[in-house]
Amino acid sequence: MMRAHRRTRIVNGRAANANRAARLRRLISIAFAMAALVALPGCRAGAPPLHFPPGAMVLNLASISDVPTLDPAAGYDVESWMFEQMIFDTLVRYSNAGVDLVPDLATSWQSSPDATTFTFHLRRDAHFTNGRSVTSADFKYAIERVLDPATRSKGIEYYRAIAGAADFIAHRTTAVAGIETLDPWTIVFHLAAPDPIFLHKLAMPFASAVPRESVEKWGEDFSRHVVGSGPFILKEWVGGQRIVLAKNPNYFVKGVPHLDAVVESIGVSEDLQWFKFEGGEIDVSNIPPAVFPYVMKTPRLRNLTLRIVTVTTRYLGMNCQMPPFNDERVRRAFNYAVNKPKLIAVLNGRGIVANGVMPPGLPGFDPHLSGYPYDPARARQLLEQAGLAHGFETTLWMPADQTMMILGQSVQQDLDLVGVHLMLKAIAFPPFLEAIRQPKTVPLFFSGWEADFPDPANFLDVLLSRKQWGANNDAFFSDPRVDVLLAEAAPLSDLARRYALYDAAERIIVDDAPWVFLYYPITYEIQQPWVHGYVLNPMRPARLDHVWLSPQAARY
Amino acid sequence: MKFRLNPMETAGALMVLSLVLVAILAPWLAPYDPTHAVADTFGDPGSPSHLFPLGTDQLGRDVLSRIIFGARISLIVGVAAMAVTMIIGVTIGLASGFFGGAIDFTLMRFTDVMLTLPALLLAMAFVAVLRPSIWSILLVIGLVSWTQIARVVRAEALTMTQRDFVMAARALGAPSSRLIARHVMPNVMPIIVVMAVLGISGTLLLDAGLSFLTLGVPPPTPSWGRMIEEATTYFSTAPWLAIFPGLAIFYAVLGFNLLGYGFLRRRRSSGSASQ
Repeated sequence: MMRAHRRTRIVNGRAANANRAARLRRLISIAFAMAALVALPGCRAGAPPLHFPPGAMVLNLASISDVPTLDPAAGYDVESWMFEQMIFDTLVRYSNAGVDLVPDLATSWQSSPDATTFTFHLRRDAHFTNGRSVTSADFKYAIERVLDPATRSKGIEYYRAIAGAADFIAHRTTAVAGIETLDPWTIVFHLAAPDPIFLHKLAMPFASAVPRESVEKWGEDFSRHVVGSGPFILKEWVGGQRIVLAKNPNYFVKGVPHLDAVVESIGVSEDLQWFKFEGGEIDVSNIPPAVFPYVMKTPRLRNLTLRIVTVTTRYLGMNCQMPPFNDERVRRAFNYAVNKPKLIAVLNGRGIVANGVMPPGLPGFDPHLSGYPYDPARARQLLEQAGLAHGFETTLWMPADQTMMILGQSVQQDLDLVGVHLMLKAIAFPPFLEAIRQPKTVPLFFSGWEADFPDPANFLDVLLSRKQWGANNDAFFSDPRVDVLLAEAAPLSDLARRYALYDAAERIIVDDAPWVFLYYPITYEIQQPWVHGYVLNPMRPARLDHVWLSPQAARY
Repeated sequence: MKFRLNPMETAGALMVLSLVLVAILAPWLAPYDPTHAVADTFGDPGSPSHLFPLGTDQLGRDVLSRIIFGARISLIVGVAAMAVTMIIGVTIGLASGFFGGAIDFTLMRFTDVMLTLPALLLAMAFVAVLRPSIWSILLVIGLVSWTQIARVVRAEALTMTQRDFVMAARALGAPSSRLIARHVMPNVMPIIVVMAVLGISGTLLLDAGLSFLTLGVPPPTPSWGRMIEEATTYFSTAPWLAIFPGLAIFYAVLGFNLLGYGFLRRRRSSGSASQ
């Protein structure tokens, strides 16, 4: 997913994106708070302090940005997903540290050999926090709710392939014919076309079970009054200040969660998070770029860090429909001209040089791709062949963010050495997204993609197929050979054949070079020595249900 | 009349002169290329050393060279923006003070409205609309800082218009253009010079502020404000990145302020202008 709201706990590049806007917003809110203090003497700004019984196990976190929503049909960003996956349950989910599917509310499942029918058997001991059992009807309702155009869910794309979904979306039927609830504990999905990765789509929070009665009672406000069946319950959400989760005592996994509560303070910049971490106020934190080298040089701190290579690729997209980038020699020249090891050095080593579209950790990743080494002489030669020996001027668009600006300047220097004069245009994320989707508008842009589910289709189909022009194929790349291979691979359940076809497509794409393949980011976080069981996932926010803390007395 | 600089003017003039020399001689004074990496300190800024007296930044660029080249952009923007400010402010002030009446009322109410808007916010709004470049920055700073000048010039012009020599010229049939050009303008000139010199420190700061908000002259052109912005996260680990450009801004602002206040003091001690 390309994320508007980036979780600041994930480091660098993705981090400070919203910071500037947030900083301004904070300044304005401070001004208002001060005005309020003057106007209403005796009135306190801020939420009242929280009180927990002595000995309660409370995990303290901090983040710069507020949670956009807790409604699983609406959330499509890291902050929302982090909390949604703790409040709600899906049929299947990913294991804590990996991208393999494990049971959540479904105890077992079968798929037909042609990947068109999927049958799930639900556990019978799961309850919503309003006391009612979770049944197959709740999953049917949840997915119909996502498909209903009135919900305006961003997840609608993922469930269109269910038989009868098109009729339901067009309001020709009142139920999706392809979702069958045989009994309260069995649900069957019939697809209109084979889709071997349908299971992964059901592991997205969009497909979480929600109780119809609560959704209908609260309507638009459901996000603030969520009722789920997951390990935690929403206890308090003070917009812009904090969000508090409390343990669900009736969670179907006995003895879980270990924590009594989770408190996330909102509006805390990365730098401030670090000070709070050093003061022991928060238990898990991001590491700001400026202190990262110091942390790594200090053994006491280095031992507290967690590291994971996320299933993400960062790249410079080149608009293949706009001169001079409609010439593949120019695109290859850019790949040779950009010094990727330098970019990674600027990121303090928090990345791996990218040789292709798919990141390591994605099933189907090809470790033998050679990519484009740093070779400015070769770049100049290619530019000469393209008739651009005297260089040219172009503009790199990117989301306004301090780290991106530094990386952009590094690229600017590299291109200067091959005669290309690069201008940097940093704008806010929403207009940036808007602009790169317009045809022939943005020649060159800084972007990235994080896997929604672990399959090559989530990169190659979504980002580089002809049918995604104006949606996610922002490089406006098109190669008929690639489109044929992608169409051939999509319905295959035989993984070896499937990955071989995707690999062939990726090799053509790398040769065509619609992107400057930059790097696969590595995320670092740091945890206090008293935190246990906190595990980073390469593709999803960390789950908190198995986290526990040493008792206060044993901490120092 | 013997022209002697008072101590304030001397100090200010020397500081401004040194700044101008640094800006002109930047390619010869700067030890390194300010826009390219010269040290291998990527992601981990290098502390000051004998090779890099003011350290290097997170892109391996030499801080000293960047500050030296940054003087160029600061001076050009500071002075040129002041020229734009002057053109707008003096025109409006003179017209308002000389013609009076409805013209005066309209122009001054417009000035009052402009004064109520915070300069930096207004500048940010303008920059957001225009394409960031050195020209748009000049224009924007000029557009938001002319109000004080206009008011002072208006006040001066108003008193001048009442003076006997202007009355006399008018009685002799001199047209308005001649009155303004030959009688009012020369007498308003001293205060304009003082205001201009004092104002440069303001435009310099506004430019640095815009750069700090990443709305200034775009990279790779080195600018002091942006250097500080890029250093914000390094305050605790690499303070030299922010301190030295900060000192440069301090030095430039102090220089222009001293010179300006020196002029102001001279004007006060010599009494108001006379023909």
